[in-house]
Amino acid sequence: MTTALERWFRPRLPGPGELTPAAVYWTLAAFLVAAFPHLMAMPPALAATVVALIGWRGMAVWRGWRPVPGPVRVVLTLTLLALVVIAFGASWGRRLATALLCVMLAAKLMEMFRVRDLRMVASVCFFLVATQFLFNERLVYLSYLVAGCWLATQALGQIQRIQVNQRRGQDRQASPGASGTSGLLSVQSLRQSGRLLVMALPVALILFFLFPRLAQPLWGLPEEAMDGRTGLSDSMSPGSISELFLDHSPAFRVEFEGPPPPPQMRYWRGPVLWRFDGNTWQRAFFSDQRLSEPPLETEASIRYRMQLEPHERRWLLAMDHPVSSTFPESRITVDHHLISRRPVTTLSQYDVVSTPDALISPVLTDVQRNMALHLPQERNPRTRALAEELRQQYADDQALINAVLRWFNEEPFYYSLSVTPLGRHGADEFLFDLRTGYCEYYASAFAILMRSAGIPARVVTGYQGGFWSESGQYLLVRQSDAHAWNEVWLEGQGWVRVDPTAAVAPDRIREGSRSVVESGRALRDAGWLMNLRNQYDRVQHLWNRWVLGFDAERQQDFLQRLGLPEMTATQIGLLMLAALSLFLLPLTWFLFRVSGQRPLSRAERAWKTVRRRLARLGLHAQPSETPREFAGRICRELDSGERQLVQLAIMFSQLHYGVPSARLLEQFERSAQLFRPLRRGKNRFPRLSFGREL
Amino acid sequence: MKRRAPANPPLTIQYRQVFILPTRFGWTLALLMFAMLMGSLNFNNNLGLLTTFIVAGLALNSMLMAYHNLRGLRLLHCTAKPVHAGDTARLVVTLSDQDGRSRPALEIRSHDGLSGFDLDGINLETVEIPLRTHQRGWLSPGRLRIQTSHPIGLFEAWAWFWPAQRVLVWPRPAENPPPLPRGAGDDGGRQISRQTDSDNFHSLRNWRPEDPVHRIAWKASQRHQALLAREFRAEVSEQVVLDLARTPASGLEQRISVLTAWVMQAHREGIDWTLNLGKQSIGPAHGERHLNACLRALAEFGQ
Repeated sequence: MTTALERWFRPRLPGPGELTPAAVYWTLAAFLVAAFPHLMAMPPALAATVVALIGWRGMAVWRGWRPVPGPVRVVLTLTLLALVVIAFGASWGRRLATALLCVMLAAKLMEMFRVRDLRMVASVCFFLVATQFLFNERLVYLSYLVAGCWLATQALGQIQRIQVNQRRGQDRQASPGASGTSGLLSVQSLRQSGRLLVMALPVALILFFLFPRLAQPLWGLPEEAMDGRTGLSDSMSPGSISELFLDHSPAFRVEFEGPPPPPQMRYWRGPVLWRFDGNTWQRAFFSDQRLSEPPLETEASIRYRMQLEPHERRWLLAMDHPVSSTFPESRITVDHHLISRRPVTTLSQYDVVSTPDALISPVLTDVQRNMALHLPQERNPRTRALAEELRQQYADDQALINAVLRWFNEEPFYYSLSVTPLGRHGADEFLFDLRTGYCEYYASAFAILMRSAGIPARVVTGYQGGFWSESGQYLLVRQSDAHAWNEVWLEGQGWVRVDPTAAVAPDRIREGSRSVVESGRALRDAGWLMNLRNQYDRVQHLWNRWVLGFDAERQQDFLQRLGLPEMTATQIGLLMLAALSLFLLPLTWFLFRVSGQRPLSRAERAWKTVRRRLARLGLHAQPSETPREFAGRICRELDSGERQLVQLAIMFSQLHYGVPSARLLEQFERSAQLFRPLRRGKNRFPRLSFGREL
Repeated sequence: MKRRAPANPPLTIQYRQVFILPTRFGWTLALLMFAMLMGSLNFNNNLGLLTTFIVAGLALNSMLMAYHNLRGLRLLHCTAKPVHAGDTARLVVTLSDQDGRSRPALEIRSHDGLSGFDLDGINLETVEIPLRTHQRGWLSPGRLRIQTSHPIGLFEAWAWFWPAQRVLVWPRPAENPPPLPRGAGDDGGRQISRQTDSDNFHSLRNWRPEDPVHRIAWKASQRHQALLAREFRAEVSEQVVLDLARTPASGLEQRISVLTAWVMQAHREGIDWTLNLGKQSIGPAHGERHLNACLRALAEFGQ
């Protein structure tokens, strides 16, 4: 009992032969790289602690420090856990889970003094790498994948060396320090683990393309906000969209069947906002209800494939107005908004059909009309006054709308990113004093104006425009293309789209969000840089299409392309096993043959030629024979070439065992090439039988 | 298992002889892979899946490499030097490689230990395997296991072999044997002149604990900084007869043990001796050869 306690308090110093420094350093490196993106997403204090523990472990190897006493370890671990809980709160999510994993592994480093512990840490690195892709699957993370896996493999290889050395007799054991440092920087060991990884690729690719995919998830996905990245939100307040303008990351990509629609038709519908509390626009309580009769598909309908980046929200973007989509468990709501049942957490591809000129909601229910006309009391008196004035002037709704748009166009309204916070009478301040703002200011003010004039109006958020990649034949829509516009309900026409921004800054609609901003704003928006970004996005697009978006449906496509019929998951699984055994075994065999052999020198290669030519005549060397003995024995069997053979043997012995000389080597190679032996008493031209037919 | 292929060296390990199973670490990684697979499939996360499959590829390759590390290995022969019972014998196995491949991280395991080695594909390699001995006679090394978990310890491939070479285990010499039965050779029909202290001085040699104190050459010892003892030789070369039946000990093993000690002492002292083991009689003779013959006879006696 006392000894156990004592051991706990005063841990034994690990013997010098137990862990090699190389193994520990590589394991730490693997852990650091695998945990890096996770650390970046953690609160800095937590990340710093993890890094400090890694550093401590490295120093412990370097300086031969003792393991941390048990009580300290327990206290530190508990403190770390408490830090995680404090930092992330009680909400259980993927970030919390991975942070916990990182912290537990870091705590494990304190007692990582056995081969088993090292192996555990190194193998969990693979897991850490895989979990990172729950958050981000961009192309650049491929390098992270490669680096993480490579280092972990390298660490496992080094750990294996420890065990081999341990089991070797003590007389054979090299001094551990020497082997440790030489193994640490050895390029050869890195190359070996790299080769191991490359050899794993064929298997990985076969599995990747043929492993049966789940059409439905097995368990629910947690809802969680994106870390660091923002997208459209389901409410709109002044400034919420202009924040997105700085974010050039892709929101989605579209491939059209047929030519792309003109820019003024590229309205990608997101959340539709009905309720206004004076500052913020929000969705209505019925916004999620299924639309009983979606618009019909007509000749003007556009078919396209969406490639949506994960945004952790439930909505799927679609062009006005979606008719149908292939996204699993998705529906079209009464707002003509396409939503899915679960948050979009991975890159998703789906086909959509949209009818741009559909007539939507020809009849407005009382509830909807009330909501579309509701305004908070005692706000924006000047806007109300303007609305009344306009109402008296124009009895017709359409004429009134046109007048407002004309007013926007003719009066000095400006479109700008510089956002000024608005007060209680936001619309008043904007329409009469400020007259400068971004799309959400216009959309909000316009809706308020319309409602004041008794026209049902709502705000639609989403994206507008996009970059058409001529070379890639797809449309790239970035977060910075986020937009807000209005819809007004007109008798007989239903909801009609009105974009006040178009009246103020027509370029915004025709040429995209970039055109409206003064040039030279920042270096990162320079033209050539944008060009580079677009080029990079092409690669990213292909990556998304073929790697990330590879799902059950794509898998069927892929198999059909190979000329295989439609198959069930079981059949695909069997196909995968068949492909593995058929393709992989000979390939691996080949790789072994190549990798296992010692490279031959030039002299050896030439000598091999000589021996091969003799072997064709049935003359083989005995393992015990020296080249000269071999030549001496064989030359008696030969009809021609015996003198050359003896000479060749002498030259080879000299080159291989004696002092090498370049001239001799050349001579040797030349005569080896010319060497054509003939065997005594056999067919003279055994290899030239075809010559007789000539 | 012996039926699968020749199992005594010289032999080449063939595919039918190689067994392979995941190690404990291999199972752990399999569990981890399963978790990664389920997670990635559920979230339909393709890069996660790719990572999982890369690990799967690593595992599959490491299985093949472990197997390949053994297949085609040639075990040429085994030799072992005799030891006394209770000591650890070292069975030396000589291995080579058929295809000139280098084969790292191989191990041979016996009941009593493990030795690791690498084959560089060019030279023959010899490996010493410890074998603990308990009783005199011929020790068969039994089943030996040649194994490897190259390259990252996920799978262990192994093959069994049964070396035909047996190890001679000499009896353990008695710790405190009775003195050599000098002059007791009357029964042997020979007259032996006894070695006495007053006999002719022969040489100086290193002092041994069994030497009486009065034989220590004090002056010479001081000069040489080591204890030296005077050795005396009789004119007539001395002979002893070591008879199993007359050995003063209880039980056969004890007697053999005493005889072993005597034989070795006689050899050390350079006297001729005859070993009588009932029907078998060896000698009189002296020297290494005679010693080995006697020790072997003692080891084999009654077996």
